[in-house]
Amino acid sequence: MATSREPNFNQEILIDTTPLPPSIPKVQEVGATSGPLLSASFFIGDRCKAYNEDYMLCKQEAGGKGEFECLKEGRRVTRCATSVIADINKHCLSEFRAHWKCLDNNNQQLYKCRDVERPLNECVFNSLKLTKTIPGAPADQTPIHLRTKGTYIGRY
Amino acid sequence: MVQDLPPVGGYGPVQYRRNLPPRGFRPSHYLFAMGALCAYGFWEAGKGIKEQRELAREKVWSRIHLIPMLQAEVDRDTVRRQLAADAREKELMKDVPGWKNGSVYNSDRYVRPNYVVTPSQDNMKRTR
Repeated sequence: MATSREPNFNQEILIDTTPLPPSIPKVQEVGATSGPLLSASFFIGDRCKAYNEDYMLCKQEAGGKGEFECLKEGRRVTRCATSVIADINKHCLSEFRAHWKCLDNNNQQLYKCRDVERPLNECVFNSLKLTKTIPGAPADQTPIHLRTKGTYIGRY
Repeated sequence: MVQDLPPVGGYGPVQYRRNLPPRGFRPSHYLFAMGALCAYGFWEAGKGIKEQRELAREKVWSRIHLIPMLQAEVDRDTVRRQLAADAREKELMKDVPGWKNGSVYNSDRYVRPNYVVTPSQDNMKRTR
């Protein structure tokens, strides 16, 4: 090749590590990986619905400036999600861990982990009063996560 | 000389038709059986499709519940980078008269930058 460019992988040295200015309050990030997040998602949705919707509405109404104007709402969303994960860890650690490990081992397919999901849902309902409900599901049928018979149920 | 003639009473009957017993059921029964099998298959497939739809709904809603949390985290990072970039630009361009800091677009909407002003490599923080 005629070019003599040095291989310059500058994504390694161009990481911007400047912290947020102190005028913006700090918040601890959730820091969970995809498996625990997926496992806790319906409980996060149940407890944090108001905060989530407030944040998304703020973003929508900010007219393209939501990144800067909705920081306060975003911190509330993060704090709420963190609180859910912390509470599940406190009260239902073994069930939670069994479920997200199952999800991680099964390509994050919820239908392959029903037998460990049921104890988790029961424990979370008993200790935190959070339920898993799927919005928009047909009202005359058993919700998919509660079914015991079906084409995709009981085969895995 | 006697002429060659048929036997007395004529020839016997010639068997020109096949004499095989009909095998299996009547053809119409096969048709009905195939139709019934197809109907059962479609019924089962329909059940599976409806179930897949519910599984997809569950998957989508699990994601919808997580989106605000993920987006909030990304937004904080975006703001952090943008504020750092603004400070960097201000510092780099402090000697240029008439330089206008900030967005190059005629709008105060946030636009994710395609190009980022970076300090020279000497000042750059090496992470490894």
